[in-house]
Amino acid sequence: MMPQILAVSIFVVMFILIVTDKIERHLVSMGCGILMLIVVFGICLHSGSTIWEIINLKEIATSAFWYAKGEGESASAGINWATIIFIAGMMVMVEGMGRAGFFRWLCLQIAKTVKYRAIPILISFMVISFVLSMFIDSITVILFLAAVTVELGELLKFSPVPVILAEVFCANLGGSATMCGDPPNIIIGTSLGYSFADFVANTGVIAFISFFVTLFYFYMCFRKQLKQKEGDGNEKNYPKPASAIQSKKDFTVSCVIFALAVVLLVTHAMTGLTVATIGTSIAIITLLTAGKEAGVLLKKVDYKTLLFFTGLFMVVGGLEKTGILELIASAIEGIAGNDAKLMIAIILWISAIASAFVDNIPFAATMIPVIRSLAAASGIDLRVLAWTLALGTDIGGSATPIGASANVVGIAIAAQNGHMIGWGKYCKYLVAITIVVLLIGMGVIYVRYM
Amino acid sequence: MEMEKQIIIALGREFGSGGHEAAEELAKKYGIPFLDHKLLENISDEKNVDIMELQKYDEKPRNPFLTRTVAGYTNSLEETVAKLQFDYIRELAEQGKSFVIVGRCGEYILRKHPAMVSIFVLGNTATKCRRIMEKYNLSEEEALRMMKRKDATRKNYHNYYCDGKWGDSRNYDLCINSSNLGVEGVAGIIDDLIRRREGLK
Repeated sequence: MMPQILAVSIFVVMFILIVTDKIERHLVSMGCGILMLIVVFGICLHSGSTIWEIINLKEIATSAFWYAKGEGESASAGINWATIIFIAGMMVMVEGMGRAGFFRWLCLQIAKTVKYRAIPILISFMVISFVLSMFIDSITVILFLAAVTVELGELLKFSPVPVILAEVFCANLGGSATMCGDPPNIIIGTSLGYSFADFVANTGVIAFISFFVTLFYFYMCFRKQLKQKEGDGNEKNYPKPASAIQSKKDFTVSCVIFALAVVLLVTHAMTGLTVATIGTSIAIITLLTAGKEAGVLLKKVDYKTLLFFTGLFMVVGGLEKTGILELIASAIEGIAGNDAKLMIAIILWISAIASAFVDNIPFAATMIPVIRSLAAASGIDLRVLAWTLALGTDIGGSATPIGASANVVGIAIAAQNGHMIGWGKYCKYLVAITIVVLLIGMGVIYVRYM
Repeated sequence: MEMEKQIIIALGREFGSGGHEAAEELAKKYGIPFLDHKLLENISDEKNVDIMELQKYDEKPRNPFLTRTVAGYTNSLEETVAKLQFDYIRELAEQGKSFVIVGRCGEYILRKHPAMVSIFVLGNTATKCRRIMEKYNLSEEEALRMMKRKDATRKNYHNYYCDGKWGDSRNYDLCINSSNLGVEGVAGIIDDLIRRREGLK
């Protein structure tokens, strides 16, 4: 009993420290992860082998880690190295693309294509946000989109706030469509052995349907705020897309690498290349083509996020090994019984509400073993529970300013330029559409899988 | 008095101590800009936004339960407004400009700047309460409540961004109790300190 109590205590302390934000989250998760290994498995259980299982380094040495035709489920509880390596690889690629001016060029090119009119900018930036977030982390997408939106807002005399709010929502929605769009999806995909195509065919369909509803919703919300400002200013004074490109060679290379990453991801179930292989290959190609800049790109990698993930997997691995997560699964099963619809509703709405207030990554990582136990005990298809969990965690985060990274970054960029988005203004527009999209998701899951 | 050398007076104050008025008097005397909450006017002009948007979040602490930081970005508007002001005063100091800054963690933000003199003005509760009652036309009870609330907010705000504690004498060049000196007396002592420091008569 003592190991279980200690494991839960460490997990709860980690969650509280992450929420209070006093100590950097990578220090919190690594500290709690190491504590979990030493105190629970070292001192209490004297189980050195379990510690090695959680550290899970042997997984990297297996051929299935790099090449797995048909994708296999990762059976081990512990550090999900595939997720960490993939995210690291994508960070290197995205840094290279940012330095080459790709994102800024894309935003300015689209603004120019729609003739610098506010409402078409709203619509087209929602589309870019949705599409880019399917492949690239939402922080990077919003960082560039929001900055260009503020710049265009100043030039065209429209408030950038409505556009940024819409971009943030679409970034989270786009992230839910694919396996690599949002960290919970990467963790779900690599832990349960689902491919990019699996996500597109399931959460992707829901995201695409919801996107059209979202476009209509934000158009109706903001058309009056943006309409009267259309056509202001002189086009000659606007920033030229070409001005974003520092080096044509770097720009071309970054476009080719991005296209390659997309192709590899879309086809990885067919080629057998795992996300770890794709992440590593993309990083190596980016670094080789960067020449002298390779060192700078490596320095720019967000090691804190990678450490955060590592520590998090250790803590969740500890919870799983001590059997705590099975207890949670039994509790959910106890409430829902064999009613699959009720179980889906519970998972969807609890994940969504939790993700609206706390980091969705630890939540998703914790829930994966729970849904695995639930599926085994109740006979409900694990895939259906996985898509439900992915939707709940990805979409629920849109409801509040602190629910997802994209929200925080979008609000911060706006505020740094004097445009304040408080809780009231944010929730006024985004709570309703979050609920609508969750209802669409629930409806599609019920109709398609029940 | 002509200030040839750069001089920056960073003044922290308890609510009702008269520190704000003393700082304003010194700025007038030296003919240098006086920066208090009006600092936001300059920032809002630069950014071409409504000052009311920024004022709501001025000198307020961050709410840890309603905010998050991701990759160095935060949704705390209080923190963003504070940092906009910190950057603004840092820039002014780096440009070699003289000014008086009231609150806004001035003594901490510019702690390494050689031209900065840091002051904290405090006062006895009774004297501060009388001043607040007169200034805001309040009853004693209301004035005490307002004083407690304002001081708590300033303290939380200061202690969130600074290593040193608000009002701790170790963090200031001079701490003055204004109760027996009044606003003019406080301004006079600060003036004396600056003259001695600058070798002026």
